[in-house]
Amino acid sequence: MVTLTINGKKIKTPEGTTILQAARASGIDIPTLCYNDALEPYGACRLCIVEIQNNGRTTIESSCTYPVAEGMVVLTESPRVIAARKVVLELLLARCPNVKKVQELAQQYGVSESPVEYGKENEYCIVCGLCVRACNEVVQAGAIQFSGSGKNRIVDSPFHQTAEDCIACGSCAFICPTGIVKKNDLERSSVCTPDGCSEEGPKREILNWQVEYQLKTCLKCGNPFAPVPHLEKLSKQFRALPQFFNLCPSCREYIKVDRDKCLGCGSCMENCPVGALELDDRGGYDKHAQVYPQNCMACHTCEIYCPVGAIS
Amino acid sequence: MKIQKPEDLSKVKKQGVELLAPATARITVGAATCGNAKGALKLIEAFKHELKKQKVKADVVAVGCNGMCFAEPIVEVIKAGKPRVTYGRVTVDHVADVVKSLKTGKVIEALALLRYDEEKPAVCLEPLKYVKGKAAAGFAKIKEYKKVDFFKNQLKLVSRNAGTISPERIEEYIARGGYAALAKALSSMTPQDVIAEVSASKLRGRGGAGFPTGIKWDACRKASGERKYVVCNGSEGDPEIAMHRSFLESDPHAIIEGMALAGYAIGAQEGWIYLNDRYVLAYERVSTAIAQAEQAGLLGSNIMGSSFSFTLKVKRGGGAYVCGEETALLNALEGSFGEPRPRPPFPVQKGLFGMPTVVNNLETLANIPLIVMHGGKWFSSIGTAASTGTKIVALSGNIAQRCWVEVPMGTTIDTIIAKFGKTDPKKVKAFQTGGPSGGILPAKALKVKLDYDALAKQGTLLGSGGILVMGEGTDMVDMARFFTDFFAEESCGKCVPCREGVKRLQEIIETFMEGRGSKEHIALIRRMSEGMRDASFCALGKTAAAPLLSVIQHFPKELEKRMNKN
Repeated sequence: MVTLTINGKKIKTPEGTTILQAARASGIDIPTLCYNDALEPYGACRLCIVEIQNNGRTTIESSCTYPVAEGMVVLTESPRVIAARKVVLELLLARCPNVKKVQELAQQYGVSESPVEYGKENEYCIVCGLCVRACNEVVQAGAIQFSGSGKNRIVDSPFHQTAEDCIACGSCAFICPTGIVKKNDLERSSVCTPDGCSEEGPKREILNWQVEYQLKTCLKCGNPFAPVPHLEKLSKQFRALPQFFNLCPSCREYIKVDRDKCLGCGSCMENCPVGALELDDRGGYDKHAQVYPQNCMACHTCEIYCPVGAIS
Repeated sequence: MKIQKPEDLSKVKKQGVELLAPATARITVGAATCGNAKGALKLIEAFKHELKKQKVKADVVAVGCNGMCFAEPIVEVIKAGKPRVTYGRVTVDHVADVVKSLKTGKVIEALALLRYDEEKPAVCLEPLKYVKGKAAAGFAKIKEYKKVDFFKNQLKLVSRNAGTISPERIEEYIARGGYAALAKALSSMTPQDVIAEVSASKLRGRGGAGFPTGIKWDACRKASGERKYVVCNGSEGDPEIAMHRSFLESDPHAIIEGMALAGYAIGAQEGWIYLNDRYVLAYERVSTAIAQAEQAGLLGSNIMGSSFSFTLKVKRGGGAYVCGEETALLNALEGSFGEPRPRPPFPVQKGLFGMPTVVNNLETLANIPLIVMHGGKWFSSIGTAASTGTKIVALSGNIAQRCWVEVPMGTTIDTIIAKFGKTDPKKVKAFQTGGPSGGILPAKALKVKLDYDALAKQGTLLGSGGILVMGEGTDMVDMARFFTDFFAEESCGKCVPCREGVKRLQEIIETFMEGRGSKEHIALIRRMSEGMRDASFCALGKTAAAPLLSVIQHFPKELEKRMNKN
């Protein structure tokens, strides 16, 4: 454990945590735009900067990337930090005057329009890279990347063409703080060519990466529920049975174990792709498989492996 | 031949000395990029042709640059037993006369710049003699190199071989004391001894920040990792400055030896040289040098019979300025986007491919053989107390003689401009050290010493050692615009303050260029520069406002001229 002081408050935190994590855990808020718990810290928006006094040196560092150290003194709202944060917000506001998140933060810090007129811009992307990092780190699809450098830096599909590795999972649209990633799920759309018009079934399009994919329809309820390449990737990842994704999550039948039939042999547990089954061992012959419904994704793999038909 | 034990070096050394002071004759042509631009390659062809025609035997060698870029192409002629004579501004028309002079033994006085009777390169223990017996008559009118201003005021330690040896012949490097330091370290020093000498030398990083090399190495040696790496930062990207390119093109083996020593000291088995993409010739010569060193057994496994193994690879980067920042360089080396990484973890803890890595500037590494050879104490006696050793500096801009030279730390800038640039310091309006990040200083600061701390006190930095001189007619606002545009071009775009801030600074300076500036603009620049300094991710953004700020500080009248009159 490491002891540090944040805004005069003594805080104990495990080694290896970042200042931002330590501060938030003890109820001190630091504004961020490019930070997400699920992703590696990136340090691009620079809103989370704090003043650090350590070993007699005072520096300004981004709290999302800086690890805690014993005896460190951190100020999250010192005059120097506030001044720099205001500059950052002013610059962001000049770039994206109509992004709600930026407007809110600017208001919080009393930043209105810049005192000197800048060239007019009305961007929506703040180039925080959340979508890029989610796609690479969590989804591991690597479909989108930054392109260009300096002021020309944008998030884009490779060569500004259709992002071939995109599985249309929509994580980018979900994580985007500004809503610039345009993901549309369409029930019916008509496609018109010189030869005439035709109707196309339920599909998802993400305009930013120029992709559109068919949405899989649930065999039971008939509702479209997920894009086909996304399901293909998932079934590979979890070694699920081919028929698993025929049903939507709400129509899927979650498994039940018949304790009278179950021998406690363990075949189901060995073959469960997500570890939703465990042995309830009460000694002797009194052992049975037990289901954790929160983990089960209703793939019914266990049903096939059960030698006595105890799972349904 | 393969060098299997330290004693084998002396055999190769003998071969090298025979090449440097040959039994027949030797003609060298300065064929670094600067020489090639002035027609050095044509000269080499012409010499070969003329030698055949006049039936004279001589070895025609392409060498690097000796720093006298203003006198390119430079040709040096050695006839057995005679002094080595340097000719400057040689054209194809002079070739026949030069070859003839080899026959007659006379010297072309109109072309000759200087001569060498004997030389003692910095790491060599005994001098290299060109003249056998008495110096031949007819050479008296040509000054010896020790008496020529250009060399008299220099202290050539790191650049001892530049322009003299062929960068493509390992024997010549060994003949001038090369790889002796590696042999010494491997046979009689422990890695800790090497680090102790480097710490005692007080050598500081030559890339810009001036971090003590000994401390960096020690931290990397103590860090735990499966593998460790040495990385040479050869991503010189300052506009108008290219002395490290010249150096690499002239003496690539010095870097290789320095890297091998660094690898030995920190316990690394692999090294990478990262080069600016534009350094095509340097890349070729370094690759050749590595291949030769491998063949000679100076790189590879069990070097000189010791248990130390070390391999080297070269990588050409994309030429981005930000890749001079060590973590961005590591990203680029790994094949990803050249943008900086958060620090900590520092590269010495978690660097290339997540392993402890020492990233050193190439000039820092070139100093290592000297320190190992003569000891840290000797090295720390050169220069000033806190900035030891020498520094290679390049002069460019409004200057009579463009050149690169090596001077002890602590030399004043005006001395460098006057003695090597042959320019009256009174005619200098402003100057800049440390590249665009350094900021511009006015003429009254010319007395400042070349020293990390002295320059930092003036609000600039030593940087990689380029000095850009601005003459009387220079428009300072335009100059600031040039550098701000440079930053806008070179910012990687990762963090908001740098990407957006530099763009806005560009806009503000445009308003001044159009004569519409105001006091509010100046106040905004000040506020924004402070915000950028505090909030930016890396040094590029932190210092991007420096050129503009220095104009506000030192040349306010020029900005006022461009303010809105109403």
